[in-house]
Amino acid sequence: MRVPGALFAARGRAPQSEKDVPFQEILPLRLKNTVSGKADSGSDVACLQEMGVLFACLKDNEFVEKYCHKEISQFQNCYKCYMDRKFEAKKTVNQGIVQPGSNLNYKQLNKYMRRYPNPV
Amino acid sequence: MSLLGRIAEKTSRLSCLRLMSVYPTHYVEPIVQKYKQLEQKNDLSKLYHVPIKAAVNKSSDTIFHDDTKHKMINYITKKGNSALARTLLSKTLELIKRTQTEHMNLAKGEKTTINTNPETLLKQAVENCRPLLQVTAIKRGGVTYQVPVPITTKRSYFLAMKWLLEAAREKERKVSLPEKLAWEILDAAHGQGRVIKRKDDLHRLCESNRAYAHYRWS
Repeated sequence: MRVPGALFAARGRAPQSEKDVPFQEILPLRLKNTVSGKADSGSDVACLQEMGVLFACLKDNEFVEKYCHKEISQFQNCYKCYMDRKFEAKKTVNQGIVQPGSNLNYKQLNKYMRRYPNPV
Repeated sequence: MSLLGRIAEKTSRLSCLRLMSVYPTHYVEPIVQKYKQLEQKNDLSKLYHVPIKAAVNKSSDTIFHDDTKHKMINYITKKGNSALARTLLSKTLELIKRTQTEHMNLAKGEKTTINTNPETLLKQAVENCRPLLQVTAIKRGGVTYQVPVPITTKRSYFLAMKWLLEAAREKERKVSLPEKLAWEILDAAHGQGRVIKRKDDLHRLCESNRAYAHYRWS
């Protein structure tokens, strides 16, 4: 047994003084008043199945559109419905109609938090 | 100017309206053609108390007015010279008429099946050249992919007319534009020619890149 260990055995290691190591705030310790909309962007890719069916029909018929009328109309109707639905959703969001209990869009959340920010 | 911009921003934020639009949303479109007014004679009473937008400057009641022809004139126009573009399109349609009339006279039987109306041939050509899809460059992980994307109706009409004009303009320089454009329109109306091949090439490119279709965002 070494002598310094024996001498200090009764006291143990002294606690670290807080003045020697001051606290640094690396990231802010409060929540932001904005919500990012990136998570919503990649989730809704429209008309993939109709596009696959259209490509299969075109490939079978040497890319002559005469024989693929049904697939073409299905694909175009799908895209038209998607764009109409997107336009209606955007108009609803811009009008500010919010139902209680439903999931808020990130724009609506940002609008609320712009009006009622987190207390500092 | 900054003050006006700030006032406009504040007002638009409060009332959620588009301030830069000339008309509010409850205005209805005008019915320019007289035959359409006569067709909808019973429904005109509903429009007695509804505000109506002013007619567009280019709208006309004449039987010679056509939207496809008008848009084609706009695409032919260079440096704002609309009169020259109109003359060129007139010569093109005249050449189409002469060519089809000559074919009709030379044909032994089946005279009535040859279409000699240049306006319907132009519309048929534009309809035959419209693409269904287009490719968009999308970068994922440092690699740029050509992703097939569905095309809007307005964009497909624009591409069709642009391709017709590009195919006409890149031919022989010594031949005048009406002749080249007339031949391109006739070829496209009959389902052949360089513009149809260009559309088919675009479709084949979209089909070969079908594996990347899920990379797009809409």
